[in-house]
Amino acid sequence: MKDLNYKKGRDGEDIAKYFLIDKGMLWVESNHVNNLGEIDLIMSEGDVLVFIEVKLKIGDQYGTPEEMISKGKISRVKRIAEGFLVINPKMAKKFSKYRIDAFCIVKDFEGNTKRVSHYKNIG
Amino acid sequence: MLTKIASVANYGLKAIDIEVEVNVADKGFPGFGVVGLANKAVEEAKERVKTALINSDIEFPNQKITVNLAPADLPKEGSCYDLPMAVGIIGAMNLLKIPEEKSYFYGELSLDGSLRHSRGVFLLALLAKEKGIKNIYVPRVCANEASVVEGVNVFPIDNLSNLIKHLNGIKLIEPLYKIRKDELLSDIVPEFDFSEVCGQEQAKRALEIAAAGGHNVFMMGPPGSGKTMLSRAFPGILPDLTEEESLEVTKIYSITGNIPPGGSLIRNRPFRSPHHTTSQVGLIGGGSNPRPGEISMAHRGVLFLDEFPELTRSSIEALRQPLEDGIVSISRASGSVTYPASFMLVAAANPCPCGFLGDNKKECRCTIFQILKYQKKLSGPIMDRIDLHINVGAVDIDKLMVGNNLKNQSETSSTIKNRVVKARKIQQKRFKGVDGIYSNADMKNKHLKDLAVLNPNANLLLKTAVNKFGLSARTYFRLIKVSRTIADLDNSVEILEKHIAEALQYRVRTED
Repeated sequence: MKDLNYKKGRDGEDIAKYFLIDKGMLWVESNHVNNLGEIDLIMSEGDVLVFIEVKLKIGDQYGTPEEMISKGKISRVKRIAEGFLVINPKMAKKFSKYRIDAFCIVKDFEGNTKRVSHYKNIG
Repeated sequence: MLTKIASVANYGLKAIDIEVEVNVADKGFPGFGVVGLANKAVEEAKERVKTALINSDIEFPNQKITVNLAPADLPKEGSCYDLPMAVGIIGAMNLLKIPEEKSYFYGELSLDGSLRHSRGVFLLALLAKEKGIKNIYVPRVCANEASVVEGVNVFPIDNLSNLIKHLNGIKLIEPLYKIRKDELLSDIVPEFDFSEVCGQEQAKRALEIAAAGGHNVFMMGPPGSGKTMLSRAFPGILPDLTEEESLEVTKIYSITGNIPPGGSLIRNRPFRSPHHTTSQVGLIGGGSNPRPGEISMAHRGVLFLDEFPELTRSSIEALRQPLEDGIVSISRASGSVTYPASFMLVAAANPCPCGFLGDNKKECRCTIFQILKYQKKLSGPIMDRIDLHINVGAVDIDKLMVGNNLKNQSETSSTIKNRVVKARKIQQKRFKGVDGIYSNADMKNKHLKDLAVLNPNANLLLKTAVNKFGLSARTYFRLIKVSRTIADLDNSVEILEKHIAEALQYRVRTED
């Protein structure tokens, strides 16, 4: 079960990554881990560094992925992002601004993607 | 899309116009936020509104919803903003037509989409009348409260689906039929009838005077002599509320949510009997957002305090100012609120902790220190404000005997009530055109010169009595008011010697 969840998460992060690259954003890092926690995806758009929280839901019995991203989760991502900038001063110098995005994916049980939504600057 | 719905906030006994602005944005991260100094109950409205919408077969929008309660600097509390929020959201989704004419929406939602009893509907209707707003939408269970206010169409709402159909013109809701004020009859059934109380003729007479003029009463006597029974029978001889009084009382009952579902104007005089362990805040009113206490709930009615000296000293002393002014101002960090508190105090007490001090048959077993301590609770300033002091002695066994045909000996409550009502009618005529005064006890000292004329002999008697017993200026004026009531009961235009004499008899305590 744990393995399945892990695989599902990877799957969602890959969908988000290729979708956003298509939209013209540049990939920086996936699954960045520091002592504060983990960020699913880091990309850049112009001079803005973008930290992305990816949520994937299979089916809709248990609510939408949007509902799963709470205020607490957003502030946690913010803290980890600030941690990332401390660890990587080069990045902090290169990008003057940063923002937090959410990327929500809904799939059905056959594995077809039903909907993807990209929300900019949710912090 | 942005929608604006009018609603109402309550602050003290004032209703204030509120605008509920709802924005359902296409862009932005989905969520539901409420701003505008909302307290916890308003914050929780989010879940209620969301579930009520889903259960009314409306898909809750997966969009960014922002609700603003304007003006933003006024603290909002309570659950009554559920309905305006829901209407705003549904309106923003273009599923209903928001009325072009300004209308008030007010009420708490249940999870199934139906509307629950909400407090303050009466005040909402009054504000609507004042502001010239034609239509108000309120929960059906408390719509009767609003229906006595003329010139306002009251739409009783059962649930959200019905309201949507009404606003879209599919199936209209009939506005509530106006209840005429005189159709509301009082239906009070007191626990006891005065004819059931054996003996105690003096106490009964004193209570009759109190009911007729709205005077305060203090009863002292050994346990089991009938103090509590007399007080319980007291509501049966109280006159019904007049129309103006009824409006004042209904306001307080509406704001505290004490009007039963389906209830309308309060026509019975309130009779409140809080237990003696009641806290000072419970008695006087208070809280961080000041709420009315028992003394305001007893406005234009009776506050009965049994075992008076058992109340905490601070509670007793806190009654001083309201007893004199008929209002109570409560100031807290959030602001100051004035509630009306023009009540008739009926207090009962034992003369000492064991209860038998001064009794003919039983010996008092208290030490002098105990007695002094007990009686010190009844401070001078409080006792000074009570017009009628009665000693309720133990009843003679002959009067108690079953088979002595009690019913024929004593008057029934309704006979006494007739006399009381007659006396009140005289007072009503007297105080016509004087604002806020309904009974002799409400009279201010400046009114006494014109409205309570003493006969020269009566004047002389009063002067002698005041000098002899060393009575205070307040007592002097209160004596005149009581004499006025006794004269009214006697159907006498002037206050005569005998009226003063009777008033004095209730005034001068044996210990004094």
